[in-house]
Amino acid sequence: MKTFTLTAALLTATTLAGTAQADKLDDIISSGTLRCAVVLDFPPMGMRDDSNTPIGFDVDYCNDLAAALGVEAEIVETPFPERIPALMSGRVDVGVASTSDTLERAKTVGFSVPYFAFEMAVTSNDEAGITSFEDMKGHTVGAVAGTYEAIALQAQVEAWGEGSFRPYQTQADVFLALSQGQLDATVSTSTVAQANVQSGNFDGISVVGKAPFDTDYVALFAKRDEYGLLNYLNLFVNQQVRTGRYAELYETWVGGELPDLTVGGVYR
Amino acid sequence: MFDYTFQWKQAMAKLPQMLDGAVVTMEVAVLSMVIGILLAVVLTLLRLSGSRPLAAIATTWVEIARNTPALFQIYMAHFGVASFGIHFSPFVSLLIGITFNNAGYLAENFRGALKAIPETQTRAGRSLGMSQLQAFRYIILPQMLRIAFLPMTNQMVWAILMTSLGVTVGMNTDLYGVTQDLNALTFRTFELFAIAAVIFYVITKIITLGARLLAARLFRY
Amino acid sequence: MFDTALTANDLIFLAKGAGMTILVTIISVAIGTVLGILFGVVRVQLGAALAAPLTFVLDIFRSIPLLIQLVLANAFAGMVLKLQMSGLTVACMVLSLYTAAYCAEIVRGGIDAVPATTRRAARSLGMSWGQDMRYIVMPLATRVALPSWIGLALGVMKDSALVYVVQVTELLKSTQILITRLQEPMFLLLLCGAFYFIISLPLARFGGYLEKRWSND
Repeated sequence: MKTFTLTAALLTATTLAGTAQADKLDDIISSGTLRCAVVLDFPPMGMRDDSNTPIGFDVDYCNDLAAALGVEAEIVETPFPERIPALMSGRVDVGVASTSDTLERAKTVGFSVPYFAFEMAVTSNDEAGITSFEDMKGHTVGAVAGTYEAIALQAQVEAWGEGSFRPYQTQADVFLALSQGQLDATVSTSTVAQANVQSGNFDGISVVGKAPFDTDYVALFAKRDEYGLLNYLNLFVNQQVRTGRYAELYETWVGGELPDLTVGGVYR
Repeated sequence: MFDYTFQWKQAMAKLPQMLDGAVVTMEVAVLSMVIGILLAVVLTLLRLSGSRPLAAIATTWVEIARNTPALFQIYMAHFGVASFGIHFSPFVSLLIGITFNNAGYLAENFRGALKAIPETQTRAGRSLGMSQLQAFRYIILPQMLRIAFLPMTNQMVWAILMTSLGVTVGMNTDLYGVTQDLNALTFRTFELFAIAAVIFYVITKIITLGARLLAARLFRY
Repeated sequence: MFDTALTANDLIFLAKGAGMTILVTIISVAIGTVLGILFGVVRVQLGAALAAPLTFVLDIFRSIPLLIQLVLANAFAGMVLKLQMSGLTVACMVLSLYTAAYCAEIVRGGIDAVPATTRRAARSLGMSWGQDMRYIVMPLATRVALPSWIGLALGVMKDSALVYVVQVTELLKSTQILITRLQEPMFLLLLCGAFYFIISLPLARFGGYLEKRWSND
């Protein structure tokens, strides 16, 4: 009897597997559109040009991915806290949104291997007299809600026991508040800090140093049960590096020393 | 189709934090209501003052409060005025935004309520030797507040709902802010916001019931 | 007064955002009003006790922040039901029900404002329920309800600013996008406020006119 049930179950399972719907990768290819979640207030990774068209490293990366899949790319703008909810609610297919591959997030979404790596920098309002990470003690500081650096900075402020931490919903609001003097300093990725300071849009802010946080590896993400797609994303990231496209995009949008995407001493 | 796994346990563990947030939400709502009523009375007086510039100021306030989104008003109170070097903390910005909105709507309600009070009453008060202000204070105001009591209750409920907009100006201690913060960390979006929704519902019910009891006590003849 | 880097292109971008605001408002108010009239009439016909479940459900839409309604609907449709819905669809669905919840109250108030004796008189003249509703209740209730309905429509227009949360780029979101690029918050916010004012003023004026005209007779 037991054998019978088992066989029946196995049979059903195989039949179901046989008729199961196409996976996400198939869906994307047959729909002809790849919808990427991209953060567009995060220069040089994602921003808008003079005609308000999305541009940036992440935008190009999404275009490359779409080209590899042979489909059209559609950029869906998502603020930082909305990236993963947008994926989970089926609004996008993949996230190309400079997303740190934290273990907490991996409970919800599946990550590819890292496709970029950030250093964290402290940017301050010139009037606050902050010249290093430690100087932020006792000041009003802020970052983008829910990001890697926000979590680390909030923990640091609590450890210092003075000053206050303020999360804003977008990177743009953080720099706006910083230049207005509502925040004394912020910790952000060094690339966005440099890009914003150099843009000349913000008066009276400067990058004053590095934040002593670990290198922030960021990865592409998709639904965590879409192994076919995740597998494709891993290979895609590998190919981008192998073919030199990664270096090319880095030179176009960021410039300088190319970040190493591997971690020594461990397998991924 | 229904293969989503609800993680209520993980979300319910955050309930104490969310209830703390609910207290802050109530603080903002009550403060904005008290100040809003006072400002609305002032706006009503300005409109009655007979002075054109003063009435124009009051009318402009009311029109802006009623014809632009509350989110816009709160965003303005934080990022807008900061262009002039005026800085408010997220809490204060949110409070200013909602109070501005409350005062505008309430002033309009008061205007409607005033129509229901015969002008002859003021004149009667004046002929008893009251000053214009005294007549307003002792004859008109109590009746006005009574007639406008139901709209005021509605505005109080809106004030509670509006606190959810504080998140756009960096507020993370109110109920919505706390929930959004937790969501950004754990991504149990549905569970967390469902709990927040229930808390909001309970608060608004308590407010409306409380207002009804208060009305029954205050306005019996 | 303002030295701005704003281009004609950006103004078109803002106008597109305003267009989205108007689109969402028109769809939601249209569907919400039809549903609201239906719910309102049903509530009056059934009486308080029988309509209690409907009253309860509609009340929820008026007791929870719209932002949470949008987030929940979006999460429920996408995560739990796994439906592929555009942000615009979710936004319009939630706003329609939100409108319907308020509209049902207005309709109920309007119908209740028609004196029972008037309706009884109509019925005793041999009018059917439908005729009574059509020729007696509707004209009278509309007078009571229309100013509130205009207030509601304006309210929905302003509340549509919150649909940014389901990735719909309406007027306020467009403004924030431009602020990100141009860093002129005060100027752009004033411009945005002016846009809202222009959209709502005609309707608001019409409401004020009706209120004045109908309140004196």
